[in-house]
Amino acid sequence: MNIKKLGRLALPYLVWMLVLVGIPLVMILVLSFMKTDGVSFTGATWSLEAWQEMFSVTDPTNLKILLDTFTFAIIATVICFAIGYPMAYIVARSPFSNKFVILVLTIIPMWSNSLLRNVALKNILSETNILDSLLSRVGMDFVIRFANQDQATFISIIVGLVLTYLPFMILPIYTVIEKIDESLLEASMDLGANPARTFLKVTFPLSMKGVTTGIIMVFLPCFSGFAIQKLLSRGTVYVLGSLIEANYIHDINFVSMLSIVILFLIFGSMMIVNKVDKEGATLV
Amino acid sequence: MGVRKREPGKLTLFLRRPKVEQAIARIVSVFKYAFFAFFMFLMYLPIVVIAIQSFNTTTGLIYQFNGFTFEHWKNVLTFDLDTNLANAITTTLVVAFLATAVSTVAGTIIAIGIHSLPKKKRQGMVFLNQVPILNADIITGISLMFVFKIVATILPGTFGMPSLIVAHIFFCLPYVVLSILPKLAELDENLYDAALDLYCKPAAGITKVIIPAILPGILTGMLIAFTMSIDDFLISFFNAGEINNLSIYIYGGYNRRLAPEVYAYNTILSTVIILGLVAMYVSSALKKRARLKHDLHHA
Repeated sequence: MNIKKLGRLALPYLVWMLVLVGIPLVMILVLSFMKTDGVSFTGATWSLEAWQEMFSVTDPTNLKILLDTFTFAIIATVICFAIGYPMAYIVARSPFSNKFVILVLTIIPMWSNSLLRNVALKNILSETNILDSLLSRVGMDFVIRFANQDQATFISIIVGLVLTYLPFMILPIYTVIEKIDESLLEASMDLGANPARTFLKVTFPLSMKGVTTGIIMVFLPCFSGFAIQKLLSRGTVYVLGSLIEANYIHDINFVSMLSIVILFLIFGSMMIVNKVDKEGATLV
Repeated sequence: MGVRKREPGKLTLFLRRPKVEQAIARIVSVFKYAFFAFFMFLMYLPIVVIAIQSFNTTTGLIYQFNGFTFEHWKNVLTFDLDTNLANAITTTLVVAFLATAVSTVAGTIIAIGIHSLPKKKRQGMVFLNQVPILNADIITGISLMFVFKIVATILPGTFGMPSLIVAHIFFCLPYVVLSILPKLAELDENLYDAALDLYCKPAAGITKVIIPAILPGILTGMLIAFTMSIDDFLISFFNAGEINNLSIYIYGGYNRRLAPEVYAYNTILSTVIILGLVAMYVSSALKKRARLKHDLHHA
């Protein structure tokens, strides 16, 4: 087998990954327990200051931000799942001869700049908006009214996160449902299970691989991003990412500590993905 | 333990009537497609608004539609733009094309390498390859920033355009590798052996035998890499130094009005990509049909 000799082609990639993933990972770990001046280690001392700043009992501002971040991410992920699973299921089980076209339709929005899409969304969700301005010419109006500013901000952010990351939920779930062997469903029906039971006992367990990937692909960016939150709240809402954004130039130790908080979640998800999907088949 | 037998209730009996069953099936299917169409509509709504804005004459409030104009489209097509926006667009496109080209070539070579490793090592490399994909963008951005900041202390001036391009190559590569690996798994390895038996050099064996077989995977990877690169905000934000790409430019304007040309540029770019894909799809479908006809003719 001559092709086995080509394995050395992967070696530079290993070095590349070690330099760009391994070294910074060690740096993040070390820097979070230090007090340094930027990335230079001259005059550095060990310190727990960054951790105390985050998890301080006397000043819970940062803890409150952490909680808010979780709230936004979890709600957005749950809604994405509730909408994305049925959508993926409908496409995968549709009688249309050309699923490729429907699939491309779900991906097309991704070719518009995602931040610009959120700017447009901010426009739609404002009391005076461009659609209303257009529709009022033909005697209709289009205004979404909220009870108060807080509610408006909260709902806008959730809608923004959901609409931005929904395709990342649909695609992996679609991939696995599409591959489920139809004869399994027929067997289940033949053995007397009704459609609902067949779905719960056959389709859903077999699609878990895609569901896991989908949830992770939505939750992680919702949890760690800050741009959508900032755009849609006009800079009034702070999330974990905003703390990183505010400090990445001046306080590298604090930023390293925040990175570790996010990394904990990422390691967890990597373990899960590595368990359910060894070859990464649902990631593209 | 006897088998529990459930008597069908009145409602079940009613639901089991053929006409009722049919009606329910029809309602469910209507509901299904309405659900699908509604959320598709929601996903497209912002894009429609972007398209509307690209024709809006308003100079003041962007929340009002004052009149129809082709001015912004013309400005984009003649590249007659506000300096900040022009620089942002140039940066985005230059970085995207360079990063896509490099990561496609390198990703193909790496994927062939990974595929050829023994099972345990291969799984290890596939896992390592997934790290940048599963990693949150913000962590990737900060990690790379640490490395590039250190590099910049040794080689001044590398933080900016060079670091931005390397960062984009870094996050595009895994997608290329991941799109090619399944195609390699389908490849008949005897073909490569046969090529070498027939005195092909390994390099020629790769370019003449392996690459044509995995070409669809390479193209998919290339498309994903380009898509990721033009849309990236977080990783670029931490690694661009003083430079702006389009996402950073839009983000910077979160509380002020963006140049209206940005809407026109976005609409033009996505239209071009979609038309390109439609053309590719149609031409491949036509080719397939022509081949089928040809085969029938000679059968």
